[in-house]
Amino acid sequence: MMPDHNAIRSAARKAASAVARRPVKDSQRLVTSGLIDSLSVLKLISLLETTLNISIPPETLQPEDFDDIDLIVETIERVAKPAP
Amino acid sequence: MTTHAQFCQQLRERLLADKDKVLLRVAVAPHFEEPLEFTGRTILERAEKLASSLALPRDRAVVLVLLPHSPELFLLQLGLVLQDHIPAILAWPTNRVDPEKYQRNLVHQLSQLPADQLLTLPRLAENLAASLPYPTIGVSIGNVSTFEKLFPAGSVSEGLEQGQFPHRDSPPSPDALFLQFSGGTTGAQKAIVVTAAMLSEQLQQLGEVLQFTEDDSVVSWLPLYHDMGLIACYWMPLWHGASSTQIAANDWIINPELLLKYISRYRATFCWLPNFSFSYLAQRRELMKQTYRLENMRAWIDCSEPVRLKSITEFADAFADWGVRKESLQASYAMAETVFAVTQSKLGDELRTVPRNRVNRGNHAYADLAFDLIDDVYVSSGKPVANTEVKIIASDGSTSLETVAGEIYVRTPSLFSGYWGAEGFQTHSLQNGWHATGDYGFLANGELFVIGRFKDIVIVGGNNIFPEDVEAVVNTIPGVYPGRVVAFGVEDKDYGTQSLAVVAEMKDDFSEEAAAVLEAAIRTLVLTAIGTAPRHVAVVPPRWIVKSTAGKISRRETRARFLREKITVL
Repeated sequence: MMPDHNAIRSAARKAASAVARRPVKDSQRLVTSGLIDSLSVLKLISLLETTLNISIPPETLQPEDFDDIDLIVETIERVAKPAP
Repeated sequence: MTTHAQFCQQLRERLLADKDKVLLRVAVAPHFEEPLEFTGRTILERAEKLASSLALPRDRAVVLVLLPHSPELFLLQLGLVLQDHIPAILAWPTNRVDPEKYQRNLVHQLSQLPADQLLTLPRLAENLAASLPYPTIGVSIGNVSTFEKLFPAGSVSEGLEQGQFPHRDSPPSPDALFLQFSGGTTGAQKAIVVTAAMLSEQLQQLGEVLQFTEDDSVVSWLPLYHDMGLIACYWMPLWHGASSTQIAANDWIINPELLLKYISRYRATFCWLPNFSFSYLAQRRELMKQTYRLENMRAWIDCSEPVRLKSITEFADAFADWGVRKESLQASYAMAETVFAVTQSKLGDELRTVPRNRVNRGNHAYADLAFDLIDDVYVSSGKPVANTEVKIIASDGSTSLETVAGEIYVRTPSLFSGYWGAEGFQTHSLQNGWHATGDYGFLANGELFVIGRFKDIVIVGGNNIFPEDVEAVVNTIPGVYPGRVVAFGVEDKDYGTQSLAVVAEMKDDFSEEAAAVLEAAIRTLVLTAIGTAPRHVAVVPPRWIVKSTAGKISRRETRARFLREKITVL
């Protein structure tokens, strides 16, 4: 079962803050501001998948799809599936 | 010695010998199920047609090519060579750059290179046309709108004075095939001139040591501006009549499974990867949706970063049930200065290791040059390829004995003879034919083990980043104390690579708020100008950066202080 919107947002905030090593505001740019690098985007995706027990299919995704908390939530709700 | 004309003649003959065989596949998003395919004949015809349609201003034109991953990029590299021009492929930016800053920075960088033409996407060509000292030509590609949306229309005017432009008097070399940047930003770094003799020697020797045949097949996500992508993954299969399948680096990073999908589908036999890729693929294994057959692979070659036992062991363990054999994990020591491979491990044998405590570090001054060991062993990069010699030189100039570390020197017929840069062609001085690599390592049983670097180059995911470039960029930011910036690498032990760190002193009175503003500016500008985001940025009060006893800024000591005081590595 997919986690609900609030759980995704909460996990996105925690994961983004962990990867950026600082508290991250919802509107704060992560990727296009240079706050996190390419490999950190991968760590962010892995953290989200583990925490939420979901699978994020990478086809057609770009690092910019994880550029802020709102985008992360929207991306997960759009493409993620429950982990098999 | 192979001349330019002989090389091109051979290339045409080889492509026509495989006129109906698919030699090149280019995977373009989002059509990953159907990569575009090109046979020997279509490669030759389309490459020459594309290059000849450009109406370049002179023979032997130096042509800078700035295009995203696309069939046109691969074809232009060949077509320009065949049409007797000299291409130089530049790195296409990530989607994350600030377009205005990127274009202004690009004008500054490109203005330092003596060239005849810039080929890029139409809108970028228009935007840059008024500012560059040479003409721009727009080249349309299949998915041009996807990339052009990054750059809104609008001329870039940088107002550079004519006197700042270097002159292009004569070609880099009579037999130059193409130019290859060895790392760093375009303007600050020089391009290596690759001649017909150098390339044909490298392709022959590497082909022999790998017993590479037309039955082989390569899958790659390495970009063409990288020597591993250009030489090992593109020229190598093409020259030997084997196929290659090319994935964009951006697509692979977000979807690493693509690599295994194509290896399985096309029964690939060779894959060159920087070290971090092995760890990364292993860590993504559990999340992969399908099962792949990888038993056909003859070699996974770890190259362009120090080889870490942890990374290749993780990879072998993770994919053993899909057919990856430990003896298929190989390593190579390569550099653009020798076109590509200097050494190659022996196929079919497991990589040799030497425990750290068996190595004499040669000189205590070198002790802190080693990359941080994840394992307690050094991993072999194999023996020199044919006609290539490697020796280790101690700090007193003597040749080191077995397992005694020193600077790695290389002598080979594929060694470069000079650079192409702002001053035109500059001969590179050699010592009796030997090139001092700036790398630190040792020999054991004739095999080379690379320990680290004398130069402070940061290697992020296989990409060389020169700290001086980063520091120069950050120095231009108002609020940063001029000249008080240090960039260096920090080990990323999860992925077996490095991340980029920047320490900058604040010019005015220090405050947390002002530091946060400066940090954001530094991150954005470095990402835009260098193409890699710094993972760590520390804005610090004046006099925080460590100086040596001679009063010079010490990168090493500043890095040590930073690691002690400032960060927790994720």
